[in-house]
Amino acid sequence: MRIRLAFIAGGLAAAVVIAAPAFAQKQGGTLRVSHRDNPPSASVHEEATISVNMPFMSVFNNLVMFDPKEKINSPDKIVPELAESWSWNADKTKLTFKLRSGVKWHDGKPFSSKDVKCTWDALSGIDEKQQIIRKNPRKVWYKNVKEITTNGDNEVTFTLAREQPSFLSMLAAGYSPVYPCHVDSRTMRSKPIGTGPFKVTDFKRNEAIKLVRNPDYWKKGRPYLDAIEFKIVPNRSTRVLGFVAGEFDLTFDSDITFPLLKDVKGQKADAICEARPTNVHTNLLINRDAPPFDNPKLREALVYSLDRQPFSDILSQGNDLRGATMLPPPAGVWGMTQDELQKLPGFGPDIGKNREIARGIMKELGYGPDKPLKIKVATRNIAIYRDPAVILIDQLKQIYIEAELEPIDTTIWYNKIQQKNYQVGLNLTGAGLDDPDGVFYENFYSTSDRNYTAYKNPEIDKMIDEQSAMTDVNKRKAMVTKIEQALLKDGARPPISHSVSNTCWAPAVKNLVLQHNSIYNGWRLEDVWLDR
Amino acid sequence: MGSYLIRRFLLMALTLFGMSVLIFVMLRLVPGNVADILVDSAGIADPKEKAKIAKELGLDRPIHEQYVSWIGGLARGDLGFAYISERPAIEEIAPRIPISAKLAGLALFFSVIMGVPLGVISAVRQNTALDYSLRLVSLSGLSLPSFWLGLLILMASVQWFGMIPIWTNEPRSILEELMLLSIPAAAVGFRSSALIMRLTRSSMLEVLRQDYIRTARSKGASQTTVNYVHALRNALLPVVTIIGIEAAFLVGGLIVTETVFNIPGVARFLVEAILWRDYPIVQNLVMLIAFVVVMVNFLVDMAYMALDPRIKFAD
Amino acid sequence: MAVINHEAELARAGANVSTFGGQMRFMARRYPLGAVGAIIVLVFILTALFANYIAPYDPTATNAKASLARPGSTYFLGADFMGRDMFSRIVHGARISLAVGAGATLLGGILGVSIGLMSGYLGGTFDLATQRLMDIMQSLPLLVMALVMAASLGPSLENTIIAIAIPLVPSVARVVRSSTLSLREQPFVEAARAVGMGEVRIAVRHVLPNTLAPLIVLGTAQLGSAILTEASLSFLGLGIPEPYPSWGRMLSESAAEYVRTAPWLVIFPGVAISLTVFGTNLLGDALRDILDPRQRT
Repeated sequence: MRIRLAFIAGGLAAAVVIAAPAFAQKQGGTLRVSHRDNPPSASVHEEATISVNMPFMSVFNNLVMFDPKEKINSPDKIVPELAESWSWNADKTKLTFKLRSGVKWHDGKPFSSKDVKCTWDALSGIDEKQQIIRKNPRKVWYKNVKEITTNGDNEVTFTLAREQPSFLSMLAAGYSPVYPCHVDSRTMRSKPIGTGPFKVTDFKRNEAIKLVRNPDYWKKGRPYLDAIEFKIVPNRSTRVLGFVAGEFDLTFDSDITFPLLKDVKGQKADAICEARPTNVHTNLLINRDAPPFDNPKLREALVYSLDRQPFSDILSQGNDLRGATMLPPPAGVWGMTQDELQKLPGFGPDIGKNREIARGIMKELGYGPDKPLKIKVATRNIAIYRDPAVILIDQLKQIYIEAELEPIDTTIWYNKIQQKNYQVGLNLTGAGLDDPDGVFYENFYSTSDRNYTAYKNPEIDKMIDEQSAMTDVNKRKAMVTKIEQALLKDGARPPISHSVSNTCWAPAVKNLVLQHNSIYNGWRLEDVWLDR
Repeated sequence: MGSYLIRRFLLMALTLFGMSVLIFVMLRLVPGNVADILVDSAGIADPKEKAKIAKELGLDRPIHEQYVSWIGGLARGDLGFAYISERPAIEEIAPRIPISAKLAGLALFFSVIMGVPLGVISAVRQNTALDYSLRLVSLSGLSLPSFWLGLLILMASVQWFGMIPIWTNEPRSILEELMLLSIPAAAVGFRSSALIMRLTRSSMLEVLRQDYIRTARSKGASQTTVNYVHALRNALLPVVTIIGIEAAFLVGGLIVTETVFNIPGVARFLVEAILWRDYPIVQNLVMLIAFVVVMVNFLVDMAYMALDPRIKFAD
Repeated sequence: MAVINHEAELARAGANVSTFGGQMRFMARRYPLGAVGAIIVLVFILTALFANYIAPYDPTATNAKASLARPGSTYFLGADFMGRDMFSRIVHGARISLAVGAGATLLGGILGVSIGLMSGYLGGTFDLATQRLMDIMQSLPLLVMALVMAASLGPSLENTIIAIAIPLVPSVARVVRSSTLSLREQPFVEAARAVGMGEVRIAVRHVLPNTLAPLIVLGTAQLGSAILTEASLSFLGLGIPEPYPSWGRMLSESAAEYVRTAPWLVIFPGVAISLTVFGTNLLGDALRDILDPRQRT
């Protein structure tokens, strides 16, 4: 497996970098990075895109974070950041953090436990009047938080409604920075204030984002870089040209698709490129509340119709990963192994047989080569959605379904899905964190804001709650697999593939460790230095 | 004269007012507003969040009220706040104007220095092989999509020079900026130069047939003097007007060219703002473009009247 | 009338005008560039009409193995990222271009003729109001107007046609209006009125046919600019959506990704657009020479 080899090679390279003697590190320089589009805002808490995380994560700090030196984020690899230490009470419902003292916000005001309380009061919805955020896409992460209390300036306690081992993982994600209490949401969206290694000096819409070194950073000797400059270049060819021509030191995250990789390596032989999953998986949305797919048999036929290999072959020259909803190993911590996957309906290697099953169902329902079922496949009107939709439509011909593509303006895509105004949709789902709580609650729990398909299944809800409270990792993993099987059987967003892409940098960029199960983490950049 | 001007100004004001209503209404017919986009870009679809943002931005107010507050602000020189960047719209728009203006100016400059001489040559050598090939070139100028031409230039430049003439860093000097802008300007100016060339040619041909040219010839002026001094001076009048009108209409070409060459001017900004449903930016930019077009038309008419004694002020 | 005069001219020139073929041969000799243009336009129309028979592949069929295939014997013009045959897509793209170009020109023409005729004929308040409306519409460049229209209507084939047609209306209306104004006072119109012909019949039977010559000239020019505008709109992501193979969109997507790795994806759709517009322009020039001798170039 090519991709697995790439992972191992990447791991070795990182080990070498980390082992290199410390005196080699150089201070100074500007890291020039290409950026694919204009970030909707600079407020990490309000957005759910790498366009925001990659440039702005380094402005902030978390309480705790996944060890930035590790490639795989896992619950047992969490290190302190603004918190010096943490502890659970006996029944694991109270989590107390001791906070670092003497930390200052970029505007010079002192950081304290009040800021932590403010931030999570707003995120969990306990205090709806908080002015530090306007939108709250990850509210569901904190649905279990009952109360946040401070004890002096340097101690804060989260009280949970029930045991939730994943809670600490949520706090350790790149999406969980501490916000200042005294700054309003508008400022946070345009020129945010953090405690992090870099300060925002300029955020020019459609042009550039400029960060400079925070001279008063609490971690002595960091960061190494003087400045980071993100240049917004919407055309990918132009970005790649810029990188090849030496205008950029680092490409935008996952910007180099496999068809482009050959070109980059050909033009710039010394470029370092690393492949990793993008946390995004392609899946089908099936409208189960309206004809014709209110018929479970027809949903089953769809599940058996897919040949996943051509998707991967076309979209990533065969590098995309096959998996269910959770990211598969080795990068994913919770996903099923390939052996387990084979047993899922429609995942078997014998596509001919699967499609025979699907055709059988279709015939049973009265469809056939002369009487195909005519449907529309809705998708967002942008290439990364349309491309797999076009392949899907091509494949559906095999099971007597004649589908027409219905491209939906990107602004009303979720609206349309939410109003159940579609038959089959092709969707991309991103996971902010490789964690079953994050993924399942967000996408499948009855009451979640991001459960676009309004999938409601009390049994699944129960199972999700159950796994969330499990402390034994192996038992929990087994439960996660059970949920995945149940979801697939029910035709709830059948997954197609997990995308894999490349990020490249010039050899002068040192100490950059990419996180392989979350592109949203690992952009603190305080340890990165330039050898120039 | 005075009453003509007053009438003219009233008409211009009426046109701009009509445009403001038209653009305002059309933008609100667009499916999805900025609240939809902001919420969608965060990957959520919560109607409550949407309503909150819509309220904050005043999108829930009756449409005529929104219109009055926009126009009222515009009259006071207040363009409102951009929805996405949440900065005053003027701060977003103003720095982009000189970039587009320079690009358009350069494109116009190219098109004139190419179009006029070639048009004259083509007319003087009417029906020769040179004339035919020049006419073909000018027709192809009207046929090539300017963005495609831009792409071909980019591809060729990568192929042969291994670099790209795109706006990557803020230019350090006027000279460098002009260098960066000259290639896109040539791409966008090609079409205008074709138009100008065709017009110059037909205008020249017309003049060359006139009596006074024959008179000049019979008085012994040399062929060259007749062609380039007497005829050209008279042929230029319609050309001047088309140049004026083309200057305003270059904006259309700028939209695609700025996109291809990654130039942060107003034209590309307009497209981005439309995609983001950033009404304050779109409305004000459209009004700016309409204002420029209307003003240029006015100035061209004035110039025409000043230059051509046969035309009188009709009032 | 211009057309009749021209036939007389043909006869004087000694052409065998008794047959259609003879006329065509004469025209082709007299206007060689126009003939080239006519052939290009004819090829374009035939390609659009018979796309199903010309294209060797289904333009929407994907093929993993052919992703970004180079031009060669299997794929004459190469294949795109999804392994779809470029030649077939360009052939089918002619349909879209023709549909949009002809659709927008006709729609714009019909609206413009109706408005211009009424405006010129009725005069008064109606004329004044429509003239102001035309002023407003002409205060934006064609592409800007089409862009705003396309955005407010949403992406679809029909909407793209409307978005391009509307900005074309004012110039048609102006041409028809001014012809109507001058024709209204002509002796033959007066004569028709004298024999008691109704005003509507006069407008349709006598005034309209006499505005045809400038209209045909304008229409050909608009056909070209409609095709170009569609390409630009699609290039900016506001035109024809998938699954229709639009030349402009084919260009925009390949331009964003494959300028370097698969330049044929950028070159061929651009050639298709340019050649088609070039043909309409050549034909348009010749038609203007034939129909409107005053503006002969």
